[in-house]
Amino acid sequence: MSLAIVLVIAAVVALGTILRLALTQSLQVSRGSVGLAGSIRPIDIEAFRNLIDSAEDEYLRRRLPPTEFRAVRRTRLRAMAAYVQAVSENAAVLVRVGELALASGDPHIAEASQQLVNDALLLRRNATVALARIYIALAWPYSSFAAVRVVDRYERLSGSAMLLGRLQNPAAAVRLSAMR
Amino acid sequence: MLQPHSLLWHYLWLGPQVLQAVLAAFLWRRGMHKLFPFFLAYLTFGAIEQFTLYGMDVLPSVSTEAFWRAFWAGAIIEGAIKFGVIGELFFHLLRSRPAIAKLGRRLISGAGAGLVLLAVAAAAYTPIVHRPLISISRAHILLQSSYVIDCGLALFLFLFAAHFKLIWNHRAFGIALGFGIVWCEHMAAWALSASGAWLDKSYLLDFLNMATQHVCVLIWCYFLLVPEKVATTSAVSLPENNLDIWNRELERLLQQ
Repeated sequence: MSLAIVLVIAAVVALGTILRLALTQSLQVSRGSVGLAGSIRPIDIEAFRNLIDSAEDEYLRRRLPPTEFRAVRRTRLRAMAAYVQAVSENAAVLVRVGELALASGDPHIAEASQQLVNDALLLRRNATVALARIYIALAWPYSSFAAVRVVDRYERLSGSAMLLGRLQNPAAAVRLSAMR
Repeated sequence: MLQPHSLLWHYLWLGPQVLQAVLAAFLWRRGMHKLFPFFLAYLTFGAIEQFTLYGMDVLPSVSTEAFWRAFWAGAIIEGAIKFGVIGELFFHLLRSRPAIAKLGRRLISGAGAGLVLLAVAAAAYTPIVHRPLISISRAHILLQSSYVIDCGLALFLFLFAAHFKLIWNHRAFGIALGFGIVWCEHMAAWALSASGAWLDKSYLLDFLNMATQHVCVLIWCYFLLVPEKVATTSAVSLPENNLDIWNRELERLLQQ
């Protein structure tokens, strides 16, 4: 009987989760692109690069006493987690932006959208793995950790997003080209 | 009203099956058997299976043992088709997303293997409550195990899509939602049946199962027959202020 109760509770939780996710999906689809772009959070890539720099970690390890190093390392890892989280959320927003733009009749926009969706999905996948590794590193601060792939993917994603933005918003294209 | 062989009981057993058969015919005529072959097989086989079981139930000449043997055989075939449906839904979810297709296949294989182990463990710990007619208990345990796996995989599909913010195809979403609801409910109901809970009022669980199946078929009818509303996508673009920020970051990188 106790097994049945466990399975009933599991089924209720699963049903609640499925209904909630289905409702969220329906709302997002019906809302279309409204409010999507505004939810992108800016990332200071320079600061992010500094945080994941292994040479910086090595320098701190040599300079600081072990207790202090562990505390500093954990603080840096928490900051890194916040950055990776923001990168992952931005990637999720760009997946939606790309998927909504996929329906466009323009083959150039559709191609750019597909590229953006692929890059954003890869970044989100890498960010998930990176977050898991950061949490492991929090428990073991001396372990080495590299989030370089996340930063690199983020830069690539920036390129894809800019291309799509340029195709969809030619007014911005002039300025983008001028900046380059 | 809530008694076996009442008018409501007859309706809830046959009504969803009639709807399923009609829906299958519509889908076939619209050529959707090419898109969702396993789902169409599920609708067709499910309707035939339930009409057969209904006939066996109301015919006095059919023994209880024969009914449960047919029920057992039907459950095994239906279980195999349901796995095909899950694969089909996952294929539709990943079809245009090659970037995560490999990861997705690995994850669903892992989740499936874990759920099979869980279902086997649950079956091993479930007592045989119908000693005089052991085939009833076996059928209940088989369905409990089958729905543990189905419910887990349905949950996995929704979590996977939500994590990667994937937009479901309208029809695939409807099919997945219907199955998600019915599989979760069936898992709970068959777990209670298998454990022998409410043994004297087990027909209430039958009513619950049949009513949920009915709701599920109505969901499929809505998503598969009503045309999709087109979302407002014309205004989709990255805002200039964000592009400015992105550009500044990129410019700084280039200057490094």
